[in-house]
Amino acid sequence: MDIQRLKPHLPWITLVVLVAIVGINDPSFMRPSNLLGIAGDIVPLFIMALGLTFAIYIGGIDLSAQSIANMVTVVASVYLASMGAWVAVLCVLAGFLLGMFSGFVTTRLFVPSFISTLAVGGVAFSIAQWLSGQRALNMDAMQRNETFGWMIGRTWGVPHELLIAAVLVVICLFIERRTTLGRALKAVGAGELAAAASGLNVARYKILAFAISGALAAIAGLLFAVKLSGGAPTIANGFLLPAIVAVLVGGTPLTGGVGGVVNTVIGTLIVAVIRASMLYFEIDATRQQMVFGVVLIIAIALTIDRAKLRTVK
Amino acid sequence: MYELKSVDKKFPGVHALKAIDFHVERGEIVGLVGENGAGKSTLMKVIYGAYQPDGGQVLINGTTVRFSNPRQAMEKGIGMVFQEQSLIPNLTVMENIFLGYERQFVRFGVVDWKAMAKAAKAQLAKVKLDIDPATVTSKLSFVQRQLVELAKVLTLEERVKGDLVILLDEPTSVLSKDEVQLLFKLVRELTTRASFIFVSHRMDEVMELSDRIYVMKDGEVVEVVERGGATTEEIQHKMVGRNVDKQYYREHLQKPFDRSKVLVEMVGVGLPGRIEGISFKVHAGEVLCLVGTEGSGREAILRTIYGMLTPVTGRLKIKGAEANSYSPRQSVAHGVGYVPRERKIEGIVAGMNVYENMTLSQMKNHSRSGVLRVAEERALARDWIKKLSIKAHSEFADCGNLSGGNQQKVVLAKWRSGGSDIMLLDHPTRGLDIGAKEDVYDMIRAMSVAGVGIVLVADTLEEAIGLSHTIIVVKDGRMQKQFDCAPGAKPTPFDLLHYMI
Amino acid sequence: MTRRLSREALIKWAPLLVLIALVIFFTALNPTFFSLRNFARIAIAAAPALMVAVGVTFIIVMGSIDLSMEGTVSLTAVSFAFIFAQLGGSLAGFGWIATPLVLVLGGLIGLLNGLVHVKLKIPSFMASLAMGFVGTGAAILLTGGDIVKVSDAAFRGLLTVRWLGFPLMVYVAAFFLFIGWFIQTHTTLGRNFYAVGGGEDLAHASGLNITRVRVTGFALAGVFYAIAAILVVARIGQAESVTGANFMFVSITSVVVGGVALWGGIGGVWNALVGVLIVNVIDNGMVVIGLPDFLQDGVLGLLVILAVVLSTDRKMVSFVK
Repeated sequence: MDIQRLKPHLPWITLVVLVAIVGINDPSFMRPSNLLGIAGDIVPLFIMALGLTFAIYIGGIDLSAQSIANMVTVVASVYLASMGAWVAVLCVLAGFLLGMFSGFVTTRLFVPSFISTLAVGGVAFSIAQWLSGQRALNMDAMQRNETFGWMIGRTWGVPHELLIAAVLVVICLFIERRTTLGRALKAVGAGELAAAASGLNVARYKILAFAISGALAAIAGLLFAVKLSGGAPTIANGFLLPAIVAVLVGGTPLTGGVGGVVNTVIGTLIVAVIRASMLYFEIDATRQQMVFGVVLIIAIALTIDRAKLRTVK
Repeated sequence: MYELKSVDKKFPGVHALKAIDFHVERGEIVGLVGENGAGKSTLMKVIYGAYQPDGGQVLINGTTVRFSNPRQAMEKGIGMVFQEQSLIPNLTVMENIFLGYERQFVRFGVVDWKAMAKAAKAQLAKVKLDIDPATVTSKLSFVQRQLVELAKVLTLEERVKGDLVILLDEPTSVLSKDEVQLLFKLVRELTTRASFIFVSHRMDEVMELSDRIYVMKDGEVVEVVERGGATTEEIQHKMVGRNVDKQYYREHLQKPFDRSKVLVEMVGVGLPGRIEGISFKVHAGEVLCLVGTEGSGREAILRTIYGMLTPVTGRLKIKGAEANSYSPRQSVAHGVGYVPRERKIEGIVAGMNVYENMTLSQMKNHSRSGVLRVAEERALARDWIKKLSIKAHSEFADCGNLSGGNQQKVVLAKWRSGGSDIMLLDHPTRGLDIGAKEDVYDMIRAMSVAGVGIVLVADTLEEAIGLSHTIIVVKDGRMQKQFDCAPGAKPTPFDLLHYMI
Repeated sequence: MTRRLSREALIKWAPLLVLIALVIFFTALNPTFFSLRNFARIAIAAAPALMVAVGVTFIIVMGSIDLSMEGTVSLTAVSFAFIFAQLGGSLAGFGWIATPLVLVLGGLIGLLNGLVHVKLKIPSFMASLAMGFVGTGAAILLTGGDIVKVSDAAFRGLLTVRWLGFPLMVYVAAFFLFIGWFIQTHTTLGRNFYAVGGGEDLAHASGLNITRVRVTGFALAGVFYAIAAILVVARIGQAESVTGANFMFVSITSVVVGGVALWGGIGGVWNALVGVLIVNVIDNGMVVIGLPDFLQDGVLGLLVILAVVLSTDRKMVSFVK
């Protein structure tokens, strides 16, 4: 079988194989409650990966996602008391605007996205430190449960996080498959020059992609803050690597244009299973980062479309 | 001394060089002329080792050689002075001259800059250029860079035993008259050390400098002219070749256009360094063809109409409305469609299917508040697939996998289905096989009948003459001459070439 | 042409002017800023960052980027601490052997980084980012999350022994800065970085072995990261898996703000020096004039954007990702 034809199917085959390996070695892994728990735990990471998908889909990258999530945990903790549920709007808006700013700097000022988002990440980190006074903050437990308790409960054994994730997936999938925005993003990722020569306002769509990435990073941060009932400027550190890994092993290559939301769902599940399997095989948790780093390199090497890179810099 | 014997080169679908015989004697300057696409650049690439011939022999002093890359050709004394500057702008002159050959100046891992400067000085003296070799290249003028380039090639003299052959590819295109004379004087003097192959679009310069001139047409050498053996006009006739009749151009298929309706009007449009004082009108149903050599400004004119370039002087009116902001978005909204030369880069989006490509420029027509009506898009695509007999298994076929001709049909369908009535076509038949070319011609004629105003940059002169109502010859960014191409009174390729070069 | 020249002049001198302006600004607000004591403080903070910046300068000059410094610094720092302890834990004994060993280790990590980038044809920012994660992961693995102390008095002398008011580590950094300058201007390798950054295709056409230049560049950067790691360990007397944290942001910021063009080919180690000083003067100055230091990252982020915008010739780039 031709490797090129096999390529689009690699992600889910990988997932099935991984689940089978773990499941055979540890039957308790396959228990529905266990699987649901694993899936529920990974939701904040998944939401960040979902956002990153948009940035990577157009051939860019968003290194600010983690810092935005960090910042949002702080914002949510600080303003929950005074704003109540409206703090969610503030958080998402902040993420959206910071993402927009990254997009603006990238497209209008010609700063490569890995630098612009790194810089915006610095800005977000500063805001987080300023708001938090460089301390870890706690939410008022009562108020958290009142306002956002619905986010983290379970109904018939299904974690509510999963429902949130499902809603976001449906929305993102709709954007990707059925809207002019999604079509334009695909065109920009697959052939930016042709998109521009067709009269598309490429810059606007790219800015929107970064903004969506920022907004979803913010939602990830919000959910994380609610789960932990607090926030700190570095609390979500360690999200970025697995989130990028999730997007790439899912089959959305760094060069953009193919893959998408569904791929990231599969990619995140792969990450979740790898994490879980490490526990079962008693691989030291400290090795996780190394494993993910290596998985990342393999994933990029397998998915990247080298025809699109004139010179690899 | 250097010789090609019945050299052949084929590319998929194109026989680029057909049994070329070619030779250069010691100290000789050989000119190489031909229309765009006659095979000059392919021949040069074979000579300096970038392409490998499919048949025939390359001989140096009677022995067969074979180069698998330019570096090997250089080691046999064949050097190339590129038209597009091949010097690295942020390096100094001496670093550029010895790039890749620094080892001779390295002692214990340290570069001896003084020794390199001295050696560079010696090379620069060969081209009579008196500059500090430590100057950063980006600070030099064009002519200085051209001379440094020549000096760099002349380092072969020290590195290679035997004779040198140096190719000059359009070395005069950015130089003034005086600078050209300076360069020619130098080249003549250097014939004591090397032979030259001189390629230029400027006929008078080739006539002046060359001892012998090879005339190419359709991948063949059609004539070898000794110095003084022919006039400029005779050579131009040979470049154009056969005389063709009415039947060849299918003049009976050409319909008159509506002179009362002006779609595009350019008045004194200029972009410094690219085009100047361009004025013309395109009417409904008219096919206006821009003719000129590579880099003459044809593409810049198209791109200005499409809004990808913003003119510095002059005015552009589209359907009577003055254009005051320039962007493709704006032009598309006014019904302008653009078929770019780089079909695979700017024309279609590979990785997207037929219907996605077709509606890319007109998603507004098939969506409400940002939500696409995909069923409608698919119906439209199926319709146009049938209309233009596009060979694709369905509207879901990835455009990247279609053949060149079918890709071009998708691009045309994209604009036509969106109702564009001003079409800008840049080399629409480039790289297509004969059948696909005919299909594109038919589509152009059909659009003309439907009242679409068309600005065309054609692949060949024959194509231009056959399809157009009006031809404008462009040279060095200026309009040279306008021809009326009504059936029965068409200009000959020679008429056009005469104004082109 | 004149526009181009003024641009070049601006890019060349702007960073230095910014640095001088900053010094004047902070001195005006608080005269104690302008004192030997404070300068020594800035120099100590800047020394390791300078080494990282010099390393990454070579990479950026080539038009690539290296984001692996956090992992490389952490891993080499931890390795140094362990090897140092294994060899007796004293510079007076065999402990000094740890230094060359760690420099070699840094070079090897960089080499691997370069090979992953060039051989697998992965854009350098992603290849090096991933390798950085691997490096940090390896450091965590070695330490198990613990802190490794290095308290040898002779080794800490890098910080404690002062000469003309500045500790020895500052002179060590200055020495390696000089080495960096020497490589940049007097070796074929250094010049080839500029050739690759100025026009990779053209350099290739001239017969340059681009692959080798790139891989060697990453290895060289790795050596400089290892030097940085040793200086950090000397400064804080310990190594752990987060020793390298924040070096990525600070060093990239410094190099870019110092005037090394992200597109390659322009700038060098002096720009890195100016950039590192700008960053550290801002950092220190904010504290001296009593501003909260958490604004630093934000200010730097905006400065980077500004620097890249200034150094980009917009006519040359069609689009960026």
